[in-house]
Amino acid sequence: MHDESPSPPIQLPGAAPELVGEFVVLRALTVDDAAITHEWRLGGRAKRLNGAAASLEDQRRWISNRPGSEFNYVIQLIDGPPVGTLSLVDIDMTNRRAESARFLIGDEAAAKGAPAAVEAMKLLYELAFDRLGLERVYGLIAQQNHLMIKWQKYLGMKEEGRLRRHFLMDGEFVDAISLGLLAEEYRAQTLPRMKALLAMGRQRTAED
Amino acid sequence: MNRRDEILAIVLSALESLNEELDEAARVEIGPTTPLFGADATLDSLSLVSVIVDVETALTMKWDAPISLTDDRAMSREVSPFDDVGTLTDYILELLQETSPA
Repeated sequence: MHDESPSPPIQLPGAAPELVGEFVVLRALTVDDAAITHEWRLGGRAKRLNGAAASLEDQRRWISNRPGSEFNYVIQLIDGPPVGTLSLVDIDMTNRRAESARFLIGDEAAAKGAPAAVEAMKLLYELAFDRLGLERVYGLIAQQNHLMIKWQKYLGMKEEGRLRRHFLMDGEFVDAISLGLLAEEYRAQTLPRMKALLAMGRQRTAED
Repeated sequence: MNRRDEILAIVLSALESLNEELDEAARVEIGPTTPLFGADATLDSLSLVSVIVDVETALTMKWDAPISLTDDRAMSREVSPFDDVGTLTDYILELLQETSPA
Protein backbone atom coordinates (compact mmCIF):
# COMPACT_ATOMS: atom_id res chain seq x y z
CA MET A 1 0.00 0.00 0.00
CA HIS A 2 1.16 3.52 -0.76
CA ASP A 3 2.81 5.03 2.31
CA GLU A 4 1.13 8.38 3.09
CA SER A 5 3.39 9.27 6.05
CA PRO A 6 5.57 12.41 5.74
CA SER A 7 8.66 11.84 3.62
CA PRO A 8 12.11 12.55 5.05
CA PRO A 9 14.10 15.52 3.67
CA ILE A 10 16.23 14.82 0.61
CA GLN A 11 19.97 15.39 0.58
CA LEU A 12 21.64 16.58 -2.62
CA PRO A 13 23.97 15.23 -3.79
CA GLY A 14 22.91 11.91 -2.36
CA ALA A 15 21.37 8.54 -2.93
CA ALA A 16 18.08 8.39 -4.78
CA PRO A 17 15.27 8.01 -2.22
CA GLU A 18 13.06 4.99 -2.82
CA LEU A 19 9.62 6.02 -4.10
CA VAL A 20 6.80 3.61 -3.35
CA GLY A 21 3.50 3.71 -5.18
CA GLU A 22 0.47 1.48 -5.49
CA PHE A 23 1.55 -0.40 -8.62
CA VAL A 24 5.28 0.28 -8.85
CA VAL A 25 8.26 1.20 -6.74
CA LEU A 26 11.10 3.36 -8.00
CA ARG A 27 14.30 2.02 -6.49
CA ALA A 28 17.80 3.32 -7.03
CA LEU A 29 19.59 1.98 -10.10
CA THR A 30 22.68 -0.05 -9.15
CA VAL A 31 25.37 -1.89 -11.06
CA ASP A 32 23.44 -5.08 -10.35
CA ASP A 33 20.87 -3.74 -12.83
CA ALA A 34 23.45 -3.47 -15.62
CA ALA A 35 22.44 -6.66 -17.43
CA ILE A 36 18.71 -6.03 -17.55
CA THR A 37 18.96 -2.32 -18.32
CA HIS A 38 21.49 -3.04 -21.07
CA GLU A 39 19.10 -5.59 -22.54
CA TRP A 40 16.27 -3.04 -22.45
CA ARG A 41 18.45 -0.39 -24.08
CA LEU A 42 19.03 -2.74 -27.00
CA GLY A 43 15.28 -3.50 -27.33
CA GLY A 44 12.70 -2.19 -29.78
CA ARG A 45 11.27 0.73 -27.85
CA ALA A 46 14.72 2.02 -26.92
CA LYS A 47 15.52 2.60 -30.59
CA ARG A 48 14.00 6.05 -30.22
CA LEU A 49 16.31 6.94 -27.34
CA ASN A 50 19.85 8.18 -27.76
CA GLY A 51 22.74 5.75 -27.85
CA ALA A 52 23.04 2.80 -25.49
CA ALA A 53 26.26 1.52 -23.91
CA ALA A 54 28.11 -0.67 -26.37
CA SER A 55 28.67 -3.54 -23.97
CA LEU A 56 27.53 -4.85 -20.62
CA GLU A 57 30.80 -3.71 -19.10
CA ASP A 58 30.22 -0.22 -20.49
CA GLN A 59 26.75 -0.25 -18.95
CA ARG A 60 28.20 -1.24 -15.55
CA ARG A 61 30.76 1.55 -15.83
CA TRP A 62 28.11 4.06 -16.87
CA ILE A 63 25.91 3.17 -13.90
CA SER A 64 28.75 3.32 -11.40
CA ASN A 65 29.79 6.75 -12.73
CA ARG A 66 26.42 8.43 -12.24
CA PRO A 67 26.92 11.67 -10.28
CA GLY A 68 25.21 12.34 -6.97
CA SER A 69 23.21 15.15 -8.56
CA GLU A 70 21.17 12.57 -10.48
CA PHE A 71 18.44 10.29 -9.21
CA ASN A 72 18.44 7.21 -11.42
CA TYR A 73 15.70 4.67 -10.90
CA VAL A 74 14.57 1.22 -11.88
CA ILE A 75 10.79 0.96 -12.21
CA GLN A 76 9.75 -2.26 -10.50
CA LEU A 77 6.24 -3.67 -10.27
CA ILE A 78 5.04 -4.08 -6.70
CA ASP A 79 5.72 -7.75 -5.92
CA GLY A 80 6.83 -8.16 -9.54
CA PRO A 81 9.74 -7.79 -11.92
CA PRO A 82 11.61 -4.64 -12.91
CA VAL A 83 10.05 -3.20 -16.06
CA GLY A 84 11.92 -0.02 -16.90
CA THR A 85 13.99 3.00 -15.98
CA LEU A 86 13.40 6.66 -15.16
CA SER A 87 15.70 9.43 -13.97
CA LEU A 88 15.68 12.96 -12.63
CA VAL A 89 18.92 14.60 -13.75
CA ASP A 90 20.58 18.01 -13.79
CA ILE A 91 18.80 18.86 -10.56
CA ASP A 92 19.39 22.57 -10.08
CA MET A 93 18.21 23.71 -6.64
CA THR A 94 19.29 27.30 -7.34
CA ASN A 95 16.96 27.69 -10.29
CA ARG A 96 14.62 24.97 -8.99
CA ARG A 97 14.49 22.89 -12.13
CA ALA A 98 15.48 19.42 -13.30
CA GLU A 99 15.27 17.20 -16.34
CA SER A 100 13.24 14.00 -16.49
CA ALA A 101 15.21 11.55 -18.55
CA ARG A 102 15.99 7.93 -19.47
CA PHE A 103 12.33 6.99 -19.37
CA LEU A 104 11.97 3.51 -20.79
CA ILE A 105 9.51 0.68 -20.30
CA GLY A 106 11.82 -2.16 -21.25
CA ASP A 107 9.58 -5.10 -20.36
CA GLU A 108 6.44 -4.16 -22.25
CA ALA A 109 4.77 -7.55 -21.70
CA ALA A 110 5.01 -7.29 -17.92
CA ALA A 111 3.73 -3.70 -17.95
CA LYS A 112 0.66 -4.34 -20.08
CA GLY A 113 -2.58 -3.56 -18.29
CA ALA A 114 -0.84 -1.91 -15.35
CA PRO A 115 -0.37 1.86 -15.19
CA ALA A 116 3.34 1.37 -14.53
CA ALA A 117 4.56 4.21 -16.72
CA VAL A 118 1.97 6.64 -15.37
CA GLU A 119 2.66 5.89 -11.74
CA ALA A 120 6.41 5.94 -12.25
CA MET A 121 6.18 9.42 -13.71
CA LYS A 122 3.75 10.48 -10.98
CA LEU A 123 6.22 9.38 -8.31
CA LEU A 124 9.01 11.28 -10.04
CA TYR A 125 6.89 14.44 -10.32
CA GLU A 126 5.94 14.18 -6.64
CA LEU A 127 9.61 13.99 -5.82
CA ALA A 128 10.42 16.95 -8.07
CA PHE A 129 7.55 19.31 -7.32
CA ASP A 130 6.38 18.32 -3.83
CA ARG A 131 9.53 17.13 -2.07
CA LEU A 132 12.28 19.07 -3.84
CA GLY A 133 10.04 22.12 -4.43
CA LEU A 134 11.07 22.49 -8.05
CA GLU A 135 9.29 24.97 -10.30
CA ARG A 136 9.98 23.25 -13.58
CA VAL A 137 10.70 19.83 -15.01
CA TYR A 138 11.73 19.54 -18.63
CA GLY A 139 12.82 16.94 -21.11
CA LEU A 140 13.96 16.22 -24.63
CA ILE A 141 12.38 13.58 -26.85
CA ALA A 142 13.51 12.52 -30.31
CA GLN A 143 11.05 13.86 -32.85
CA GLN A 144 10.13 10.43 -34.19
CA ASN A 145 9.19 9.15 -30.74
CA HIS A 146 5.57 10.10 -31.39
CA LEU A 147 4.07 7.90 -28.67
CA MET A 148 6.17 9.45 -25.94
CA ILE A 149 5.59 13.00 -27.16
CA LYS A 150 1.85 12.40 -27.29
CA TRP A 151 1.91 10.80 -23.83
CA GLN A 152 3.88 13.61 -22.23
CA LYS A 153 1.66 16.27 -23.78
CA TYR A 154 -1.49 14.47 -22.62
CA LEU A 155 -0.02 14.50 -19.13
CA GLY A 156 0.54 18.24 -19.22
CA MET A 157 3.94 18.90 -20.71
CA LYS A 158 4.06 21.82 -23.15
CA GLU A 159 6.15 21.88 -26.29
CA GLU A 160 8.73 24.63 -25.91
CA GLY A 161 10.87 24.24 -28.96
CA ARG A 162 12.89 22.08 -31.30
CA LEU A 163 16.60 21.43 -31.13
CA ARG A 164 17.72 20.70 -34.63
CA ARG A 165 19.85 17.61 -35.26
CA HIS A 166 20.26 17.18 -31.52
CA PHE A 167 20.58 13.38 -31.39
CA LEU A 168 22.65 11.02 -33.51
CA MET A 169 20.63 7.80 -33.85
CA ASP A 170 21.50 4.89 -36.09
CA GLY A 171 23.93 7.11 -37.95
CA GLU A 172 21.38 9.88 -38.59
CA PHE A 173 20.95 13.21 -36.89
CA VAL A 174 17.43 13.79 -35.65
CA ASP A 175 15.69 16.78 -34.08
CA ALA A 176 14.74 16.81 -30.42
CA ILE A 177 11.41 18.19 -29.19
CA SER A 178 11.83 20.24 -26.01
CA LEU A 179 8.99 19.84 -23.50
CA GLY A 180 8.44 21.46 -20.12
CA LEU A 181 6.06 21.28 -17.18
CA LEU A 182 5.59 23.95 -14.50
CA ALA A 183 4.53 23.22 -10.93
CA GLU A 184 1.12 24.87 -11.39
CA GLU A 185 0.48 22.88 -14.58
CA TYR A 186 1.46 19.69 -12.79
CA ARG A 187 -1.14 20.33 -10.11
CA ALA A 188 -3.90 21.57 -12.41
CA GLN A 189 -3.63 19.17 -15.33
CA THR A 190 -1.09 16.43 -14.82
CA LEU A 191 -2.19 15.10 -11.45
CA PRO A 192 -5.92 14.72 -12.32
CA ARG A 193 -5.09 12.88 -15.53
CA MET A 194 -2.58 10.66 -13.80
CA LYS A 195 -5.10 9.84 -11.10
CA ALA A 196 -7.65 8.93 -13.77
CA LEU A 197 -5.21 6.58 -15.48
CA LEU A 198 -4.28 5.02 -12.16
CA ALA A 199 -7.97 4.48 -11.45
CA MET A 200 -8.11 2.38 -14.60
CA GLY A 201 -5.50 0.15 -13.07
CA ARG A 202 -7.72 -0.28 -10.04
CA GLN A 203 -10.72 -1.10 -12.23
CA ARG A 204 -8.65 -3.78 -13.83
CA THR A 205 -7.76 -5.21 -10.43
CA ALA A 206 -11.40 -5.19 -9.40
CA GLU A 207 -12.35 -7.23 -12.45
CA ASP A 208 -9.60 -9.81 -12.07
CA MET B 1 -23.40 3.64 -41.24
CA ASN B 2 -25.07 4.13 -37.87
CA ARG B 3 -23.49 6.14 -35.11
CA ARG B 4 -22.16 3.13 -33.25
CA ASP B 5 -20.39 1.94 -36.40
CA GLU B 6 -18.92 5.41 -36.90
CA ILE B 7 -17.56 5.39 -33.35
CA LEU B 8 -16.23 1.88 -33.78
CA ALA B 9 -14.40 3.00 -36.93
CA ILE B 10 -12.79 5.85 -34.96
CA VAL B 11 -11.59 3.50 -32.22
CA LEU B 12 -10.21 1.00 -34.73
CA SER B 13 -8.50 3.81 -36.63
CA ALA B 14 -6.81 4.92 -33.41
CA LEU B 15 -5.50 1.38 -32.92
CA GLU B 16 -4.23 1.32 -36.49
CA SER B 17 -2.37 4.58 -35.87
CA LEU B 18 -0.91 3.07 -32.73
CA ASN B 19 0.31 0.03 -34.64
CA GLU B 20 2.15 2.31 -37.05
CA GLU B 21 4.22 3.49 -34.09
CA LEU B 22 4.95 0.06 -32.64
CA ASP B 23 7.50 -2.52 -33.67
CA GLU B 24 6.04 -5.46 -35.53
CA ALA B 25 6.31 -7.77 -32.52
CA ALA B 26 4.45 -5.32 -30.30
CA ARG B 27 1.55 -4.59 -32.65
CA VAL B 28 -1.96 -5.34 -31.47
CA GLU B 29 -4.55 -7.41 -33.28
CA ILE B 30 -7.33 -5.06 -34.23
CA GLY B 31 -11.01 -5.98 -34.09
CA PRO B 32 -14.31 -5.13 -32.39
CA THR B 33 -13.47 -7.26 -29.35
CA THR B 34 -9.79 -6.38 -28.95
CA PRO B 35 -8.99 -6.18 -25.20
CA LEU B 36 -7.60 -2.79 -24.28
CA PHE B 37 -6.71 -2.18 -20.64
CA GLY B 38 -8.52 -5.01 -18.89
CA ALA B 39 -7.55 -8.36 -17.48
CA ASP B 40 -6.30 -9.60 -20.86
CA ALA B 41 -4.63 -6.29 -21.56
CA THR B 42 -3.33 -5.56 -25.01
CA LEU B 43 -2.02 -2.08 -24.26
CA ASP B 44 0.39 -0.59 -21.79
CA SER B 45 -0.42 2.87 -20.46
CA LEU B 46 1.76 4.57 -23.08
CA SER B 47 -0.23 2.98 -25.89
CA LEU B 48 -3.53 3.54 -24.09
CA VAL B 49 -2.92 7.28 -23.91
CA SER B 50 -2.20 7.34 -27.62
CA VAL B 51 -5.57 5.73 -28.30
CA ILE B 52 -7.36 8.09 -25.89
CA VAL B 53 -5.84 11.18 -27.50
CA ASP B 54 -6.59 10.04 -31.06
CA VAL B 55 -10.17 9.03 -30.23
CA GLU B 56 -10.93 12.25 -28.33
CA THR B 57 -9.52 14.32 -31.19
CA ALA B 58 -11.52 12.45 -33.82
CA LEU B 59 -14.75 12.69 -31.81
CA THR B 60 -14.30 16.42 -31.36
CA MET B 61 -13.68 16.90 -35.07
CA LYS B 62 -16.60 14.75 -36.18
CA TRP B 63 -19.30 15.85 -33.74
CA ASP B 64 -17.90 19.16 -32.55
CA ALA B 65 -18.38 17.87 -29.02
CA PRO B 66 -15.46 17.91 -26.61
CA ILE B 67 -15.43 14.48 -25.01
CA SER B 68 -13.24 13.44 -22.09
CA LEU B 69 -12.74 9.70 -21.85
CA THR B 70 -10.88 9.82 -18.56
CA ASP B 71 -13.07 11.93 -16.31
CA ASP B 72 -14.43 10.85 -12.93
CA ARG B 73 -17.49 9.34 -14.56
CA ALA B 74 -15.46 6.92 -16.64
CA MET B 75 -13.33 5.95 -13.69
CA SER B 76 -16.22 5.37 -11.32
CA ARG B 77 -17.95 2.79 -13.53
CA GLU B 78 -18.03 -0.75 -12.29
CA VAL B 79 -16.89 -2.11 -15.65
CA SER B 80 -14.06 -0.12 -17.16
CA PRO B 81 -14.93 1.60 -20.45
CA PHE B 82 -11.46 0.56 -21.55
CA ASP B 83 -12.03 -3.15 -21.08
CA ASP B 84 -12.14 -3.74 -24.83
CA VAL B 85 -13.02 -2.04 -28.10
CA GLY B 86 -16.70 -2.86 -27.65
CA THR B 87 -17.05 -1.39 -24.15
CA LEU B 88 -15.21 1.75 -25.22
CA THR B 89 -17.45 2.14 -28.28
CA ASP B 90 -20.59 1.72 -26.18
CA TYR B 91 -19.32 4.18 -23.57
CA ILE B 92 -18.62 6.82 -26.22
CA LEU B 93 -22.04 6.21 -27.75
CA GLU B 94 -23.58 6.85 -24.34
CA LEU B 95 -21.62 10.10 -23.91
CA LEU B 96 -22.50 11.32 -27.38
CA GLN B 97 -26.19 10.61 -26.91
CA GLU B 98 -26.10 13.05 -23.99
CA THR B 99 -23.92 15.76 -25.50
CA SER B 100 -24.85 15.47 -29.15
CA PRO B 101 -28.13 13.57 -29.63
CA ALA B 102 -28.58 12.02 -33.09
